[in-house]
Amino acid sequence: MKISVNWLKEFVEITSTPRELKSDLTMIGLNTESVVAVGDDWVLDVEVTTNRPDCLNHYGVARELATLYRQPLKKIEVAVKESGGPAQDVVSIEISDPDLCARYCGRVVQNVKVGPSPEWLVKRLEAVGQRSINNVADATNYVLMELGHPLHAFDLSRLNQHKIIVRRAKPGEPLRTLDGTDHTLTRDNLVIADGTHPVALAGVMGGQESEISANTRDVLLESAWFEPVSIRRTSKSQGFHTEASHRFERGADIKMAPVALDRTATLIQLIAGGEILTGMIDVYPPPQTRPVLRLLRSEITRILGAEIPAEEIERILRGLGFQVEPSGNETWQVTVPSFRVDVSREVDLVEEVARHVGYDRLPSRVRPAPPRVERDTTRDKVISTSALLVSLGFHEIITTSMVDPAEGGRFSASTPVILANPLSQDASAMRSSAVPSMLRAIRWNLDRDTNDARLFELGKTYSMGANGVPEEHRVLTLGSTGHRRAASVYDSEAPLDFFDLKGDLEAILGTFEIPALAFEPSGPAYFQQGKSGRLVSSGVELAVLGLLQQDLARDYKLRQAVWVAEINFERLLEFPLRTRKFQPISKFPAVERDFSLVVPDEVPYARLSAAIASLAIEEVRGFHPVDRFRGGAIPSGHYSLLLRVTFGSQTRTLTSDEVGELSQRLLTALQGLGAKLRQ
Amino acid sequence: MLIDEKVQKTLPDLGVNDAAGVEALFAEVRAAMAAERARLVSCGATSEADRDKLCKDLRDRWLARKNGLLSGVDENWLKKSPKELKPSVGKQFNGLRQESATLEVAALTQDVPVQEQASDHGKVSASDSATTTISQITREVPRDLTLPGNRQPLGSLHPVMQMQREIEEIFLNLGFRIESGPEIETTYYNFDALNIPESHPSRDDWDTLYIDSKTVLRTHTSPVQIRSMEKYGAPLHIIIPGKCYRHDSPDASHSPMFHQIEGLAIASDITFADLKGTLDFFAKKLFGEKIRTRFQPSFFPFTEPSGEVSISCIFCGGDGCRVCKESGWIEVMGCGMVHPQVLRNGGIDPEKYTGWAFGLGVDRFAMMKYDINDIQLFFQSDVRFLRQF
Repeated sequence: MKISVNWLKEFVEITSTPRELKSDLTMIGLNTESVVAVGDDWVLDVEVTTNRPDCLNHYGVARELATLYRQPLKKIEVAVKESGGPAQDVVSIEISDPDLCARYCGRVVQNVKVGPSPEWLVKRLEAVGQRSINNVADATNYVLMELGHPLHAFDLSRLNQHKIIVRRAKPGEPLRTLDGTDHTLTRDNLVIADGTHPVALAGVMGGQESEISANTRDVLLESAWFEPVSIRRTSKSQGFHTEASHRFERGADIKMAPVALDRTATLIQLIAGGEILTGMIDVYPPPQTRPVLRLLRSEITRILGAEIPAEEIERILRGLGFQVEPSGNETWQVTVPSFRVDVSREVDLVEEVARHVGYDRLPSRVRPAPPRVERDTTRDKVISTSALLVSLGFHEIITTSMVDPAEGGRFSASTPVILANPLSQDASAMRSSAVPSMLRAIRWNLDRDTNDARLFELGKTYSMGANGVPEEHRVLTLGSTGHRRAASVYDSEAPLDFFDLKGDLEAILGTFEIPALAFEPSGPAYFQQGKSGRLVSSGVELAVLGLLQQDLARDYKLRQAVWVAEINFERLLEFPLRTRKFQPISKFPAVERDFSLVVPDEVPYARLSAAIASLAIEEVRGFHPVDRFRGGAIPSGHYSLLLRVTFGSQTRTLTSDEVGELSQRLLTALQGLGAKLRQ
Repeated sequence: MLIDEKVQKTLPDLGVNDAAGVEALFAEVRAAMAAERARLVSCGATSEADRDKLCKDLRDRWLARKNGLLSGVDENWLKKSPKELKPSVGKQFNGLRQESATLEVAALTQDVPVQEQASDHGKVSASDSATTTISQITREVPRDLTLPGNRQPLGSLHPVMQMQREIEEIFLNLGFRIESGPEIETTYYNFDALNIPESHPSRDDWDTLYIDSKTVLRTHTSPVQIRSMEKYGAPLHIIIPGKCYRHDSPDASHSPMFHQIEGLAIASDITFADLKGTLDFFAKKLFGEKIRTRFQPSFFPFTEPSGEVSISCIFCGGDGCRVCKESGWIEVMGCGMVHPQVLRNGGIDPEKYTGWAFGLGVDRFAMMKYDINDIQLFFQSDVRFLRQF
């Protein structure tokens, strides 16, 4: 809202500089973004929050300043020079739907001369960003800017039967508004009708038919109060937002209606001539009453933590237009003025006091919350997992949750959650899989010549549950492409492969206490066959990984191999982090033995390792595959595996006989699977 | 240290001064020997000539009378060993000698397979790396110490997450707990329970993405205030980090998805002073002790009184610059005393309890801290951006 400093000065004495004014208004809650010189005036750009329609005009802002600067606020007093017969004889006004229109005031000005406005008025309107139309319309706009009450001027001669009926529109009733658009109305729309049909969309915009024109002689001025919710509905459903609807939907001042009407009529008479007919028509069915609130000084202290002197409280509230009556010990009965539609509770009064005492003058203290014993284990898990991923070379990414609904189907069978008013088609569903986001992220990097990338995202996927309730699942997605290390003087470059990602996954899952974690060599269909797998614990899938399937790689324009893993983080969180327990280090040397095995193709390593593990030989401290190949001297249908086993004991140095015996036990177990020691 | 270097040193030089040390050292030699042999055996050779050469190379490397690794062991470890270690070194060396028989060319050739052409993937790379391994071992160690260190590639945490963690830490240390809630939220929790009725224009302050008339993508983390009040009652000290959504077209300062942190403290004796003090403490912890805070009145339907917090400009210290638009202040978050109706909606008696709350944009904080001028950078996943953090 643009506010002219000169205009303000008509209501309150201001000695501060425009710059000070900007800061002072901001510090009482009227955030002022700028102050600029316009001719001999200064114009403030005040951001008025939705709760303060009373400050959408100069008089309201002046009231705040008068309170702040402890200056009197000039009263609005209008002396109307009436002449001629009673207005009632010329026009009749009736409210059919008093629930939507609580007051309707009208005055008739006859024999006006419609024409341009005087220069002073045009300048004022322009300073606050309003375009001059003609003297009658400008007068209503002037009063709107000054007192905040929206008015409307009708060409009286265009009103059939010289009648005003405030009523709900009949379904399908047409109306062409001032801006030339045609509307088909519904029962939800409140209209101002004449004897036959609607002539204005109440509180939103007038109709074109009864618009003031150069030929208008007699004017009916409307100053009414419309119910905010209905105005909001109408303005939304008819796609309108006007200065009038902006104020009515926030709540206009019902007591201002007659004052603004008199002010406008007088102004019209001043700049357009004419006679104001005797009497104001004021249809005000049951006059509204204002809430009376009890205010305790102790409540102010309870909320603000500050002792505000009683006189200060009274001064502020009275300055702001509240009626303050002492009622007992440090207690008041406070009547809320009609323009303060935002104040309905004691705490609202506390805010008024706080605003004008100044937030910066209120005390400040720091006290921690009572100490807590429980740890935030979810956060611990998130932090340890992401820290591990960073040390494994992964960069964390955050990608949008809103995607093209067509995309998710290739990666997830769940029903996507669709947005009703998306920003665009490719952001019209909540993602049901995080894999497409990962692929896009990798593509983004490949397209920018970052060919080695390891990325992770700890985010959510979304799906529509069977019961129609949306569900959210935490997922950890890994994506990697390119080389595990770049060429350097130390190493040659090495491309990433399946086992790099599998190793990373094992490292992550290894930080959790997961019973019976097992690998199964088959992943979902979006991976290449034979190059994917899953990790399960007691039949529950925790993660899948693999090489992206070629068709998808092509569709996502990925020109090199991309490895992806998805970890069901929601499930992973159900497991505790691994607890560390020290195993004494043996004082006795360990012995390594290599076993060069020939193994039938159908026996994978996992079975060999399971066989050794199932022996549960305490002296087997560890074992791992050192080399593996096929062909050459190895019979077909077999592969060669070099297995290195470490033997050791906590209590003694193992003799070579003992090691030999243990080796034999291992071999016997492995032979059971068809593996043989190479000769 | 490579075995090649170790055999050039004496036992005291290697810090070996007891029988256990000797045993470990020899175990290392045996392991290296076995590994090199196993590698050659498993890799095989591409022709008989190749095989013969590979076998002879390996044999000479270990057993050559002059400069073989075993001769080094003999010269530097056995002959120069301190008297008290001599028996154990001698015993180990004998054992090593016996085992080294497997490195004789005849024994090797028998085991090293010859294939015409590499038949599968594993084979090829194994063969390649086998030659590399042997040559690497014999290769001279680079002597130019000014070469860059051999660094492991490290990843990075997303700057927004780093900022989120930093903020969380400050409040965790103040005894707050972390709460979370759904991103797909009901209009009740997102709006109605927070005093934002559909009929009031204040609802337009949030450009909302709808699933249906009763379901939205949460426009702020505030719905978790109500959910937590319902779950825990009072007193309550929580912060709520999370993703939020608005119907905003993406540009340098807007993103339809962004991150917020909400703070909420409810107790029987909380006042506006606690709000001011805690947020001032928080700002100083995060941006530095010299930061000043300024509170100005504002409006949020779910707080009363409501405020906006500004901090003295972190770029110019408050003198006025381009970032703070010459004002010396940067607006950083909204806050206020929890509205009594909101407490009531959360099942808490506003006569007994008071509370404060704040909400801030994590992305904006990260932009401020790292001097990032475009919010879109956060969501592009560009490694050139990410690795800077």
